[in-house]
Amino acid sequence: MSSEYTNAGTVGDRSYGQPQQQSATMHYLCAECGVKVGINKGEPIRCKECGHRILYKQRTRRMVQFEAR
Amino acid sequence: MPPKRSAAPPKPVKPSATATASVSAEEQKPAKKPADSFDELLETYYKGKHLTDPINTAEDKWTLLPAFLKVKGLVKQHIDSYNYFVNVELKKIVKANERVVSDVDPQFFLRYTDIRVGMPRRMDIEFDAPITPNECRLRDLTYSAPIYVDVEYVRGKQIIRQSGMNIGRLPVMLRSSRCVLTGKDEMEMAKLNECPLDPGGYFIVNGTEKVILVQEQLSKNRIIIESEPKKDIIQASVTSSTHERKSKTYVLTKKGMIYLRHNSITEDIPIVVALKAMGIQSDHEILLLVAGTDMVYQDTFSINFEECSKLKIFTQKQALEYIGTRVKKMMPRPGMLQQKRPPEREALEALATVVLAHINVDNLNFRPKALYMAFMARRVIQAMVNPALVDDRDYVGNKRLELAGQLLSLLFEDLFKKFNSDMKMSIDKTLKKPSRTSEFDALPLLQNGAGLITQGMNRAISTGNWSLKRFKMERAGVTHVLSRLSYISALGMMTRISSQFEKTRKVSGPRALQPSQFGMLCPSDTPEGEACGLVKNLALMTHITTDDEEEPIKQLMFALGAEDITLVSGYELYVPGSYIIFINGTCYGLTRYPKRFLETFRKLRRSGKISEFISIYINNHHNGVHIATDGGRICRPLIIVENKRPKVTSRHLKSLAAGRMTFEDFLKRGLVEYVDCNEENDSHIAIYEHEIGDTTTHIEIEPFTILGAVAGLIPYPHHNQSPRNTYQCAMGKQAIGAIAYNQFLRIDTLLYLMVYPQQPMVKTRTIELIQYDKLPAGQSAIVAVMSYSGYDIEDALVLNKGSVDRGFGRCQVFKKYVTTLRKYQNGAADRIGDIKRTVDASGASVPIGKHLALEADGLAAVGEKIENEQVYINKQVPVNTADTPQLLNETRAPDEYKDAPMKYKLMDPAYIDKIMISTAENEQTLIKVLTRQTRRPELGDKFSSRHGQKGVTGIIAQQEDMPFNDLGITPDVIMNPHGFPSRMTVGKMIELLAGKAGLLSGKLQYGTAFGGSKVDDMAKILVDNGFSYSGKDFVTSGITGESLEAYIFFGPIYYQKLKHMVQDKMHSRSRGPRAVLTRQPTEGRSKMGGLRLGEMERDCLIAYGASQLLLERLMLSSDVHEVDLCEQCGLMGYSNWCTTCQSSKAVTKMKIPYAAKLLIQELLSMNVLCRIKLKDKFPSSI
Repeated sequence: MSSEYTNAGTVGDRSYGQPQQQSATMHYLCAECGVKVGINKGEPIRCKECGHRILYKQRTRRMVQFEAR
Repeated sequence: MPPKRSAAPPKPVKPSATATASVSAEEQKPAKKPADSFDELLETYYKGKHLTDPINTAEDKWTLLPAFLKVKGLVKQHIDSYNYFVNVELKKIVKANERVVSDVDPQFFLRYTDIRVGMPRRMDIEFDAPITPNECRLRDLTYSAPIYVDVEYVRGKQIIRQSGMNIGRLPVMLRSSRCVLTGKDEMEMAKLNECPLDPGGYFIVNGTEKVILVQEQLSKNRIIIESEPKKDIIQASVTSSTHERKSKTYVLTKKGMIYLRHNSITEDIPIVVALKAMGIQSDHEILLLVAGTDMVYQDTFSINFEECSKLKIFTQKQALEYIGTRVKKMMPRPGMLQQKRPPEREALEALATVVLAHINVDNLNFRPKALYMAFMARRVIQAMVNPALVDDRDYVGNKRLELAGQLLSLLFEDLFKKFNSDMKMSIDKTLKKPSRTSEFDALPLLQNGAGLITQGMNRAISTGNWSLKRFKMERAGVTHVLSRLSYISALGMMTRISSQFEKTRKVSGPRALQPSQFGMLCPSDTPEGEACGLVKNLALMTHITTDDEEEPIKQLMFALGAEDITLVSGYELYVPGSYIIFINGTCYGLTRYPKRFLETFRKLRRSGKISEFISIYINNHHNGVHIATDGGRICRPLIIVENKRPKVTSRHLKSLAAGRMTFEDFLKRGLVEYVDCNEENDSHIAIYEHEIGDTTTHIEIEPFTILGAVAGLIPYPHHNQSPRNTYQCAMGKQAIGAIAYNQFLRIDTLLYLMVYPQQPMVKTRTIELIQYDKLPAGQSAIVAVMSYSGYDIEDALVLNKGSVDRGFGRCQVFKKYVTTLRKYQNGAADRIGDIKRTVDASGASVPIGKHLALEADGLAAVGEKIENEQVYINKQVPVNTADTPQLLNETRAPDEYKDAPMKYKLMDPAYIDKIMISTAENEQTLIKVLTRQTRRPELGDKFSSRHGQKGVTGIIAQQEDMPFNDLGITPDVIMNPHGFPSRMTVGKMIELLAGKAGLLSGKLQYGTAFGGSKVDDMAKILVDNGFSYSGKDFVTSGITGESLEAYIFFGPIYYQKLKHMVQDKMHSRSRGPRAVLTRQPTEGRSKMGGLRLGEMERDCLIAYGASQLLLERLMLSSDVHEVDLCEQCGLMGYSNWCTTCQSSKAVTKMKIPYAAKLLIQELLSMNVLCRIKLKDKFPSSI
């Protein structure tokens, strides 16, 4: 499991802390092509389709309540 | 535009029908590419005006303005200047420093054959991909392009040519010729996430937008005559500026005699000696060169010969020896053998290269320089005879504006020279080695130094410190962060001019409004307070020139019949009727027909044979024809008048409207020309067509262009008291509104946006030109000018709660929070931790309260509400970041982390709007979190109309309680009428009137300066719609239901919401944190600080005699401290013990402020002893 947490580029084979409860791959949106990109912790930040380096976090699925005033 | 023309209906339509017709035409026409947003202004239909409508020259000549703004003006001068730097100046710099040679190997050389700047490229792995400005903003990168050079150099026995070597990166100005945005239409801009209305002209360095402000300076290489009547000094001074050297030379009077003064000469040299040293040996010739045949001038000057003959100087050699002994020795250059030179040579060198450095001395031909100096002396004598002949430093014609291009070229030249000398040093070092393993190749050295230029550029722009060792120039605050508070503030920043004068000096001259600023600098837009009058803004229709070649003009001058000045004697020089021709302040020619010369020259310029920015004018005070080709002059276009008729006719304007002519064509055909400040003084300019007389040479394009972009927002500014317009100029920049079309794609540190911005009912031409109507910052509020409730005193406003509920003044505040996940030297790196969990009452595992907003990746959920102290980035940093390798028995685990979470610090909750993750230039993860708050107006929020009338919300009244007119309309805002009498903002009243008429007729009205909709017409519309001509309505009270006793001035006024909001300022504290050093309460809202009881408040309490209150405020509630004081020695001890006396006998306790104790101890540390002596105030013996 910890092999999943290899660091980006230069740092190499450093192991990362205690294992996580869930290895949730979070999905982000590419700012360029809008595709969903799954990124694990420590992976380089990069769109897998177009190689763009800006990703946005997706809007949460949790319920959000606004005070409409 | 072409498809548009065909779609237009053939026959002219009535004005009322035109608006609708234009809309339908808009719908019919096929999708076309608008190349520029100014295009709309040039379209077949513009504001209900059709191509075939009659064009009235007198009224419609303003249509030249959008045509002008399309090519020049506003921020275009920044861009022009940058383009000039990249395309011309850069090559010149490299040409001047093209050879790098080695001291060790005379065979070696490296020569630059060419330089060019590429397009902006990213620095990542895929090296050669273009980058967009918005990506640079988001990823904190620098928007820069590589600089390529072609070189040829010696390797071994052969000469190698190499092209396209990268020697560094140059920050790219947005919208310049190197920017990816050039030539893009609105569609393509949208694709690049850029706003088509964004002016450009700034740089992006490390993700921040930086503007290089326009710098104002006294012009270089020009003679300025000044007098100091107190010291009885008249001086002519010249700041010489060449690529190599900057120096200042004076010719001045001392006790009626004239001397030459220069930094490199230890004492003042009599002018006659100086002239003799430059090879004019005969006294008679000197007299003629300086004074001509004028007896008065000759008498004034002749005294100077006496001094010279007293010094026994008769020949050039004697003069040079005299000066040579007084020349300051220059620092011997390291490495160069400095042989002792005779003083004669020393003087020759100094006179040739240092004194008046901008006049070249070729082959020791001192004639031009001697003539120049003689002319300076003549100007001094003229000023001695007629004190009115001194120059005005503050005159705009004597000023030059330095733009981004010039500043960058100074910086680049400095860096390039350093780059070359560094390279030479390392070449020497390698070549010095007796045996080299491989053949020496200079190419890698070229690439190694690239960081120097890149970083030097970046650092200068991002810090704003321009330090150039060559010129001993140390300037701070050259660049500023582009203010994105509103569209106007960004635009206003691009036209800002900062002056080099110190702000502290109490002279009014540089601050005063100069008549020569007319049409060049905005008379209204200047800050109040210390920078008042020193920070200026460009008017709407100005352009700043760039350097033009001098040489062709010189040739032209001779071709036009001028005589070479070096060939004439002083007698001919100053014979009445002959005029000296100056090019950029230096005399070159002589003409006996100045008028004809001038007219031919202008004719050539008007026909486009020479650059339109070269100015020529006659100065009759010293019989000179001045030609200026230098950069930094402010100029503006004017319509040429010939034979009492403006050359621009309705035919031309029709062609312009039809798109057959551009502004350039107007210039080329000699209908319009650029006139700089000096030439303006030589012309007779009519403002309106009916003013044209026999002597008129020009007519204004539009009078409202004397105002700048920011002052142009004010409707009817010519009806306002002038300071009110100045106030509005300051406030317009603080108004919340739309910022750019890409405002939601940006992540700024702080961003205010209005939720429902509206374009003003009363527009101005300027508003359309700068497209404020597309990015407005305000709302048209229905205002009732009346008293209501008493919560409206002192300019406070009453807001209608109904309006507030419906979105009046609603705004959003975005704040950015950034962090990077750093990587350390030892291989450790920051990381994002997991959510901490607890078990709740039902036994389920839930995140702890602080981590409620987090999701699995340790970042807050987008859309989630975050409250004070909640974590939005759960960052952890490694405990061990030391570079040294750990010992084996080191107990610390290699991957031990401590929490370093980013917590939300504000009291008011916000929503996570956006989270961006990316990598910065150094491959470190960059996380930007954008939070959003939506705010409705509350008590104390600041609003302002466009007339410098600001006020805070005093009360938000229920809509039911608001007064209403006979249509049942309630006002959005009630303004107290006391705001009018003392402010005299009549423009605001007319705005209301015109706005109301606009509402009723369904049209937008104009309040353009010196024009706009007429009050009489507005009154007519009001009356036609059944309203009072005066704009007053019959109003009923909402509280009592009674009709009010007076008619109420009632109508729409454009209101801006200003950025000062109560929520950001509200603060209170009872107990709270204290500063560590002084133990006094901290200062400032952000540190939960206390409210200071300052000196003046203290004075009040002392005067009142409230000693106990004073004691409580200053001691008990602040930094009271109990000290152990020894009554014997007066020093402080501790724990009932005096260390000085080694006893506890006389130690007593007393309370003093901790700051006082600190002061005593600090003094003690500086060997100043304070003893506290105690005495009984009420001795017990009585």
